[in-house]
Amino acid sequence: MTMKSRDYQDLIGGGLLTAIGLFAAIYASQWNFGSMTRMGPGFFPTVVGILLALTGVLIAALALKRTGTMPSMQWRTMAYVFGGIILFSATLRSLGLVTAVFLTVILSSLADRETTWRLRLVLAVSITGFVVLVFRFGLNMVLPLWWGD
Amino acid sequence: MELLNNLALGLDAAISPNTLLYCFIGVLLGTLIGVLPGIGALAAISLLLPLTFYIAPEAAIVMLAGVYYGSAYGGSTAAILLNLPGTPSSAVACLDGYPMGKQGRAGVALFITAIASFVGAMIGLTALVLFSPAIADLGLEFSPADYFALMLLGLVAASTISGGSALKGLAMVMLGLLLGMVGTDVNSGVPRYYFGYFQLLDGVSLVVLAMGLFGVAEVIASINNVPARTSKERHVTMRSMLPTRDDWKRSLTPMLRGAGIGGFFGALPGTGGAIASFISYATEKRMAKDPSRFGKGAIEGLAGPEASNNAAVQTAFVPSLTLGIPGDAVMALILGALIIHGITPGPMMMTQQPGLFWGLIVSFFIGNIMLLVLNIPLVGIWVKILSIPYRMLFPAIVIFICLGVYSANNSTFDILLVVVFGFAGYLLMVLKFEPAPVLLGYVLGPMMEENLRRALLISRGDMGVFLEKPISATFVAMTVMMLAWSLWTAVRGRQRGRPVDRGTPQSEQPDDTHPQPHDEAATVGKNGSVTGPRP
Repeated sequence: MTMKSRDYQDLIGGGLLTAIGLFAAIYASQWNFGSMTRMGPGFFPTVVGILLALTGVLIAALALKRTGTMPSMQWRTMAYVFGGIILFSATLRSLGLVTAVFLTVILSSLADRETTWRLRLVLAVSITGFVVLVFRFGLNMVLPLWWGD
Repeated sequence: MELLNNLALGLDAAISPNTLLYCFIGVLLGTLIGVLPGIGALAAISLLLPLTFYIAPEAAIVMLAGVYYGSAYGGSTAAILLNLPGTPSSAVACLDGYPMGKQGRAGVALFITAIASFVGAMIGLTALVLFSPAIADLGLEFSPADYFALMLLGLVAASTISGGSALKGLAMVMLGLLLGMVGTDVNSGVPRYYFGYFQLLDGVSLVVLAMGLFGVAEVIASINNVPARTSKERHVTMRSMLPTRDDWKRSLTPMLRGAGIGGFFGALPGTGGAIASFISYATEKRMAKDPSRFGKGAIEGLAGPEASNNAAVQTAFVPSLTLGIPGDAVMALILGALIIHGITPGPMMMTQQPGLFWGLIVSFFIGNIMLLVLNIPLVGIWVKILSIPYRMLFPAIVIFICLGVYSANNSTFDILLVVVFGFAGYLLMVLKFEPAPVLLGYVLGPMMEENLRRALLISRGDMGVFLEKPISATFVAMTVMMLAWSLWTAVRGRQRGRPVDRGTPQSEQPDDTHPQPHDEAATVGKNGSVTGPRP
């Protein structure tokens, strides 16, 4: 990072918001804008999109004059947590609640650097037990417990 | 007397065993969540939201509200013992609560906090009971133009006042408005922003949005970042909790003053418990004979803000329940829950469903009494819970998020969507954008569009309708003033910011003369890591 670092957080954020606002407004042009008296479905999205884009530009422009640090993301943590959630979504219906919870706990707990395998297994077993008791039997949620259920 | 009749009706509804049970669960979980840093009231309520689909709407709302005001009690425990605010609004409790703990008076601090919370909540509740019917009556007179102007004011106030940069807050609100448009437009039947996914035709579900933005994002930010929490005060005995006569004398007036401040600011849109407690702290410091004691364990600096915070939490229900307009993101979530359960909050609710309205109010009284019991004799349990490491908690939270999202619509698509919003929420945190206003915009968006459409239809497209009637004209004027003020501070911040060598980009706040406790809270809430002294 150079000494003359910019306020990257606002620069990136403002840029992203401008992009989203512009996209929303342009995308909204396919719907009838209507008139002031009879607002069509495109009216509100277009107006809000343009306002968001303008605000984004303002945020980024003000950030140019400020110093700041480059933000850092926890990619590793994100990968494990998101991986766990996606795994859950993929396995819940096919492999059942018990397997899905167990595997998701194992995968997402890898995000913490200090969790030992012993603790990981204890967590997986106890959370699975708790979830089955509370959600399946306590709240009577309709969920397959095992594959083929 | 009508008021007494109403309260009797509410009592009837609130003391059914089922409602009592859910009230208890709510305040218990609220305290727990308040105590634990790294899980906020927003994340907790979004986690519980799907569970409420399985219970009656009355019980559901009583429980969710219990989590909200319960977390206002619990938040200060971690602040006093560890100098970590469990919730943003309890950041002020660190200032004098932690020094009291270091002086061996943690017990007294915890006791006074519980009492102050209770006193504040009771005063806030009384205000809620007294003013709600009148405000609801007023609300019945509102035209669509008035409603639109009020919602606009609410959104602008919430995004510009509550900490951080006003411009960023406004941008977040607009992002929320756009998210609220996803799905079929009720008026024309045109599907908007669904990108070919039929699952999005009904819109983005509230549960998915809230869990992604707050639940998942908080989990990612907290893993490997929440410091190990060990406290010397493992055993807080009942005896050590008893305040001296002098403590009582010093705390009583600040409590009452704090409750008044909190009650007022809580009812306004955009100013919640965090701001109320900060204003109360500043007031107490200014009124004190010896302001130098503040920050070194002055009990006034604990009692006032704590009462203020809890009073604000109660009066925050005034605009939400009487006008159907949430003042902050938590209220937006609770209103969203009401709507999911088929109840339309607003002025009609009080006349059409008096049992629900007054039952909820009476449940607040009962819940606060439960909280007093939970927080004084059982404080030892909360102290122990504080030492559970985060690495044991988060896998369970991840599972609750997945199951909660799935159960809302029985849709695995929603679980994947939570990843998208989780990433967005985390990105916002990293870029120091406050995600809470997104939720407010999302909930208010459809209502705003509808009221704007109606207002313009009635006025035949004349925008002047917003300035003709006194009610909407007042709201519009206030909105314009706030926007002007925030633009001015943004530009002034730029001028001052040029030679800035401080690392934090958000330091261009209007007055940096006071120590800003919500800045500190924001940092804690955002990444769970705290720069304060470790015990």
